[in-house]
Amino acid sequence: MKVDLVIFQHIAAALYLAAGVGAILGLMLPAPRMMRGARWGLGLGAVAQAIAFGTLHRVESAPSLTDLPQAIAIMAWLSVIFTLCLLVRFRLPGFVPPLAFVAFLSGFGATFVGPESVPDAGAGGSIPHAHVLLASAGLAALGVAGLAGLFFLIEHRSLKRRRVSARKLPLPSIETLDDVNRIALVLGFLLLTLGVLTGSLWIHSRSGLFWSGSLHEVWNVIAWMIYLGLVVARFGGRQGARQASASAVAGFAFLLFSVIVVGMFS
Amino acid sequence: MKVLLLGMNHRTAPVEVRERFAVAETGPVLQKLIDRPEIGEAVLLSTCNRVELVVTTENLDSAKHVMLEFFARELADGELQSKESLSEWTFFKQGREAVEHVFRVASAIDSMVIGEPQILGQVKDAYREATEVDACGAVLSRLYQRAFATAKRVKNETGIAERPVSVARVAVNLAKQIFEDLESKSALLIGAGEMIEAALVALDDHGLGDRRIANRTRSNAEALAEKFSGTAHGLDELESLLPLTDVVLTCVGGDGPVLTRFQVETALVGRSGRPLFLIDMGVPRNVDPTVHELDSAYLYNLDDLQSVAATNEAERRREAERAERIIFEEREHFDGWLVALQAVPTIRDLRRRTESIRQAEIERYAGRLGLSPDQQEALEKLTKGIVNKIMHAPISRLRDETDREMGLARLEEARNLFGLDDEGDEREVLSRRQNPSDEGKIS
Repeated sequence: MKVDLVIFQHIAAALYLAAGVGAILGLMLPAPRMMRGARWGLGLGAVAQAIAFGTLHRVESAPSLTDLPQAIAIMAWLSVIFTLCLLVRFRLPGFVPPLAFVAFLSGFGATFVGPESVPDAGAGGSIPHAHVLLASAGLAALGVAGLAGLFFLIEHRSLKRRRVSARKLPLPSIETLDDVNRIALVLGFLLLTLGVLTGSLWIHSRSGLFWSGSLHEVWNVIAWMIYLGLVVARFGGRQGARQASASAVAGFAFLLFSVIVVGMFS
Repeated sequence: MKVLLLGMNHRTAPVEVRERFAVAETGPVLQKLIDRPEIGEAVLLSTCNRVELVVTTENLDSAKHVMLEFFARELADGELQSKESLSEWTFFKQGREAVEHVFRVASAIDSMVIGEPQILGQVKDAYREATEVDACGAVLSRLYQRAFATAKRVKNETGIAERPVSVARVAVNLAKQIFEDLESKSALLIGAGEMIEAALVALDDHGLGDRRIANRTRSNAEALAEKFSGTAHGLDELESLLPLTDVVLTCVGGDGPVLTRFQVETALVGRSGRPLFLIDMGVPRNVDPTVHELDSAYLYNLDDLQSVAATNEAERRREAERAERIIFEEREHFDGWLVALQAVPTIRDLRRRTESIRQAEIERYAGRLGLSPDQQEALEKLTKGIVNKIMHAPISRLRDETDREMGLARLEEARNLFGLDDEGDEREVLSRRQNPSDEGKIS
């Protein structure tokens, strides 16, 4: 089983790497066929990683996904799935290379770190898994919102400076980027909220309290409140597309900090 | 066989001269040209920017004379005063220079607007018309097929045609950078002059959705609206129209701006942050320039668009340098093919020559030796074998040489060494075949 897990993780990483390289070449040449191949590579990588996660669940009955490298790998995997869903409706050529490389690095990195056991991890039944999956999915969607926001700012700046780059940026229109940002923000916030709630339930199943006051909880609740503010500002008509994009980038940077940096010390 | 080109283009002749040489249908005039013995094959390209005649010939000097005469008599209908003035406006290219020029023209490297897509279609038409009147043979057919392949490579392997260089195309590309789909967007055109009409034609080509035309004189707006299936409005309706609009195009007279920052700012509030693209073609400007500072408003004036077009043109020039490398490679391939083709008659002459010598020598000795039919057959085989073995290496080298200069030099050497162009030697061989008694005489 352990061997299966590593093999599928390696296959997924190789497919992501191929997809990233293919997408960069496809955008630079430009070669639409190569871009299509890169999307297929990304999709197949996601399938291989899904099999790897399935194997992991069978190996570690409870809860095998609570360690940081695995959580980041799940987040990257869910970002890929979320982006593949968006690709059905939107043309997002510039999204493939960064996502593929992040998925490659996180997936490949996870193969070196075995899933660690957490004390009292068995408590709460499937709640820990639900918490990790929901929170990771929320992070993934908010990551895509941040990426769309970053691309929006790049394109907006190019249009505002009235300076055209030597080669046209392989980015979708700012209208599309704003749409993606909006959709990803709403979905990400909903999933993050569910992640926070299931996290609270998990703590309750272990200690009888809904709030333990750990560093991880404090920072994640702050991040959740920031996103609540962003959603209210965005849909309350108080933010334009540029501010919303900048907020999405800053919000995701904060979220990553609270998950990765704080997670490492808590 | 040489490829020769006589051309006149936007660099060598003004439009009033070029238009005198332009022909709508090249087939009939080409037919007259290929009847001349100096010309082998011919293709004539006639566009608004160039008139170029490509021929194959064995005799360069005579062909040049015929081509100049063709330009003066057939194309200019004898209107030209003298051939001297014609040479001022035209240029000759021959051999590899001519081949490269054809490749450059088809790839739009030589065009007034580098990378423009029309020229390839025009070259294809010229080639088709030449083939229809049987003016195109093996050499020019191959040359033009390679030219089309070169143009395709240049388009695919360089960014020469990627960036627009006309103001209208630049505006459309910018709009596509802002909006994903122009068909679902609505345009507000302020003014009803020629520029707005031209913009409406361009918008028609790119399928922009609703068009609203606003003008001081409403009747002028109504006339345009009727022509382009839009709606007509007065300038007093701008504030109510702006929130419904995605692209604004203005070109209207007047001293002050037609659209103020306040008007646009108010409109943006009603658009929930959706972007607004404004193109100001008016002089003096019709839109307050500070509108560009608003987050969701992107304002470009004519100078901005022209500056983008100039940047793109400079980029195309850089890409043209990459295209030159492709053209060089393709020209080398064509040269290789042409040398191989030119080697064919030399190889054929060489074989004929050695065979005639072999047969002449057998005839001289066969009767005297009194050979039986079997021995005669053996002698035939033996001599054929010797000749073939001796000629194998030189013939292979002639056939395999792909470098044009080296190949042509080798062909020339072979013809000299074996006396292939020497009629006297040929006659001597024939006379020996007729008078075998001359055997052994040393002159």
